[in-house]
Amino acid sequence: MPIRLIFRNLVRHKLRTALTVGSLAIAVFLLCVLRALVVSLDAGVRNSTSDRLIVQSAVSLFVNLPASYVGKLKAVEGVDSVARLQWFGGYYQDPSSFFGQFGVDPEKFLGMYPEFKIVEGSRERFLTERTACIIGRQTADRYGFKVGDTVPIIGTIFQRLDGSPWEFQVAGIYELESIVWDETTIFFPFEYLEESLKGGAASGPPGSGVIYIHLAEGVNPVNIAAEVDGLFENGPQRVQTTTEAEFNAQFVSMVGNIPFFVTTIGGGVLAAILLAVINTMLLAGREQRHDMGVLKALGFSDWAVFGVMLGQGVLLCVVGGGLGIGLAQLSSPEIAKLLGTMFPGFEMTSEILTNACTLSLGIGLLSGALPAAATRKLLAVDAFRRGA
Amino acid sequence: MQLVPFSYNLRSLLVRRSTTLLTVVSIGATVAVISGVQALQQGFVTIFEKGGRTDVAVFLRPGATTENQSGFTRSSADILLKSIPEIALTDDGRPMSSAENYMAVRLFKIGGGETNVPVRGVQPMTMTIRADDLQILEGRTFQPGADEIIVGENLTRRIRGCQVGEVIRLNTVPFTVVGTFTDEGTFSSEIWGDLERMGDALQRSVYNRVIGVLRPDVDVPALIEAQENHPQVPAKVMTEADYLISQTGVISATLLGLGAFLAVIMGIAAVFTTTTTMQAALAARTHEIGILACLGFRPISILLSFLFESLVLGVLGGLVGILLTLPLNGIETGTTNMITFTEVAFAFRITPQVLGTAIVFSIMLGLLGGAIPAFRAARMTAVEALRRG
Amino acid sequence: MSSTTATRTVVDLKDVTRAYSRGGERLVVLDALDFNIDEGERVAIMGPSGSGKTTLLNLIGGLDKPESGSVRVAGEELMDLTPPELARWRAGNVGIVFQGFNLIPVLSAQENVELPLLLAPLSRSERRAHAAHALELVGLADRASHRPGQLSGGQEQRVAIARAIVSDPTLILADEPTGDLDRASADSVMALLARLNEELGKTVIIVTHDPLAAASAQRSVHLDKGRWKSDGEGA
Repeated sequence: MPIRLIFRNLVRHKLRTALTVGSLAIAVFLLCVLRALVVSLDAGVRNSTSDRLIVQSAVSLFVNLPASYVGKLKAVEGVDSVARLQWFGGYYQDPSSFFGQFGVDPEKFLGMYPEFKIVEGSRERFLTERTACIIGRQTADRYGFKVGDTVPIIGTIFQRLDGSPWEFQVAGIYELESIVWDETTIFFPFEYLEESLKGGAASGPPGSGVIYIHLAEGVNPVNIAAEVDGLFENGPQRVQTTTEAEFNAQFVSMVGNIPFFVTTIGGGVLAAILLAVINTMLLAGREQRHDMGVLKALGFSDWAVFGVMLGQGVLLCVVGGGLGIGLAQLSSPEIAKLLGTMFPGFEMTSEILTNACTLSLGIGLLSGALPAAATRKLLAVDAFRRGA
Repeated sequence: MQLVPFSYNLRSLLVRRSTTLLTVVSIGATVAVISGVQALQQGFVTIFEKGGRTDVAVFLRPGATTENQSGFTRSSADILLKSIPEIALTDDGRPMSSAENYMAVRLFKIGGGETNVPVRGVQPMTMTIRADDLQILEGRTFQPGADEIIVGENLTRRIRGCQVGEVIRLNTVPFTVVGTFTDEGTFSSEIWGDLERMGDALQRSVYNRVIGVLRPDVDVPALIEAQENHPQVPAKVMTEADYLISQTGVISATLLGLGAFLAVIMGIAAVFTTTTTMQAALAARTHEIGILACLGFRPISILLSFLFESLVLGVLGGLVGILLTLPLNGIETGTTNMITFTEVAFAFRITPQVLGTAIVFSIMLGLLGGAIPAFRAARMTAVEALRRG
Repeated sequence: MSSTTATRTVVDLKDVTRAYSRGGERLVVLDALDFNIDEGERVAIMGPSGSGKTTLLNLIGGLDKPESGSVRVAGEELMDLTPPELARWRAGNVGIVFQGFNLIPVLSAQENVELPLLLAPLSRSERRAHAAHALELVGLADRASHRPGQLSGGQEQRVAIARAIVSDPTLILADEPTGDLDRASADSVMALLARLNEELGKTVIIVTHDPLAAASAQRSVHLDKGRWKSDGEGA
């Protein structure tokens, strides 16, 4: 097979080759990003562990569990430790600057989440100081918070009666070993919130939103979950106890059709690019029809001619796809930063990139095979017809 | 200036029909994606915009941006309900205002999975205020003081237990579905029942918000300011229309942002495709250009001729894109409003704005895609074109 | 190619009929034709347009097959070969020169000439050497790196002839080789073909309707409507 013809023909039409490679790169980049969005949605589910259970109200995400539940849960056999968690729902500076804030039992919470690594500042301070907080790497970078800074948060659900914002001192900045949570959230001691409410300094619903359970080793989470649910079956608040994976999955299911929606967009992108590359290759095939007839007249086999056309399609797509994949890989940290809180687990996994490779190759084979099949069936006598 | 007959272009597109078709459908796919996203955004915004009344005021606790963040004690609510002079009165002299409870309740979707459905407890006066907005579709409305609920039309197709006669348990209390209702706005995605019964079942002693019908001559900005600084019950006041629009912000902006991002990225790819095709048209018609130039057609005419041809490609692509998007119109979908964490059902809507954007977008794709080949064609001299053709 | 053996028949067509159906109508292009050419001959096939000259050449070159009859070329019965076998046979036995040159525009003269050698078991350097030699033979060694677009018509055709002889075929088929050339170029191309015939002993078959070109052949035959004209056929 005259391999040189593959390169020469692509180089001959520099503009067309460049445009096709360019649109392929763009499309493959876009497909990688869209796919990464979908994959990031269940990062929390994938990285969940089976030794953590979450107890929440069976009625609503917004109904708090009574304070008395903590003691009752601790007493359940197989429960190693219990941590309260309260969604704070405030905002920094203005409501559109969205990142989550939670009141937690610091020692218990960090105890059951070894994934949290305090990379700057002091874990000790967070465990002991009332108004200390730890901040995720992304939020710290985004707003320039440093250890020792005071972060004012304006309450919505919980409001200080004097109208002032809540103030937390940054004790540390954390990073996650695996994206089981996200690196945008601020955690502060639950007790600070509780005392402010009890002492009349602030208003808001009592109790804690959810309670995290860390199981002792070797305990079957399903049994414990059933036992806990049974404990409060008759109120005052029915609870729903789930594994961490199920709990996180509920938020994924809440955003509803996003995976389908994004996949549909991806389908549109794919259709557009596939047709575009086929178009380029059909144009190339038509142009080289005569040359291919000459090759046949010279005695080249049908498959050699097929290979020259197919090779052009594949080479186009390998180069275009490769550029797109490279672009996706290089830009993914920036995109992750941009998406921030909305898609905390955004990551270009090697699986996505491998799939993109396969896809590019597939587009190349298909778009090359169409004109290749047409030229393969050419008769050598066509070479004699001028300008065929 | 003599223009090159447009029939040349149409014939040229027809002769190279496979390339024309591939290009048109490729542009079509691009336009369809952009239009689809925009139709989603339009559908989302529409339900919030349609439902909002300008003659209804919403009272929230200061600092709260949504009703689930807001809360009034009964005594505060009472003051709001009875002592605001701007509120209109009924024929028998009662203020047309009502306190409401609002909570996202965990319910199961018909297709599997959980979602948070907004449940609203209302006072009888709410039904008077909403008399024109709300229509009972099936069954009847709930009796005050009874464990009965009515269900918004959108929920009956999406959420389990929402048919008339079925029972939904809120915490430990079973409520019977006695009717379904519809409304142009977001209420169609809600469950309504009696305020006090709901409060008991959900163990909520506070009310979330107060609404009231404004008298026609009310100075709204003055009311807003007066209420903010009210000595007894300071409150944030908005017209219902403003309140609902403020709720669409994040999702609407996200969809618009996504649409713009896709339009730029996919638009570049589509321009590349059009350029490739027009470049092939140029190659095929070089000889013809030479002849036209010999005959005395000016470069600008040749330029316009090529631009026209790619414009046709773009517009045809736009039409294909619209055709691909049209079946979406009216298809229902849902998403969670990330501010209230409640599910909102809405439908894709192909509004004139969506169509207009699609056409403008495809015209731009056509013109930008034709630019390079058109300039190349116009710059060719007659001799050169004849020799190369 | 050694020519010490006794003259033997290179082309032997017997009772060959080729027809096309066009719009339901049967159009006989070659009608029960016999044709013999001995090794080392230089034959011109003449005739008006549509007389079947090119079809005849295609049959001899294994590019086309007749409906009936026997086509023996270079000792092989072409009727028995499958298309892939024909392609392989073609690569080894015939060199073809086309009216429109048919050089591959993206390849240099040297690369165009090398092209048929890709089908032979030769090393890269051998291919280079063979191609360079063929280009030298046609007097274009100094144009080896030029693309077809940078050559004149006459030069292009000489490159095409170099390509036809580079794999050392028995038979050279030329279809209107001078059709697109001016007189001077045409004469030099015909002279080149004559030289290949005389000096290298190649059998050369030229389809032409140029009487001057035909005059340079040893023998001329005339086709008309698929049959030999009375004066022709040297069976």
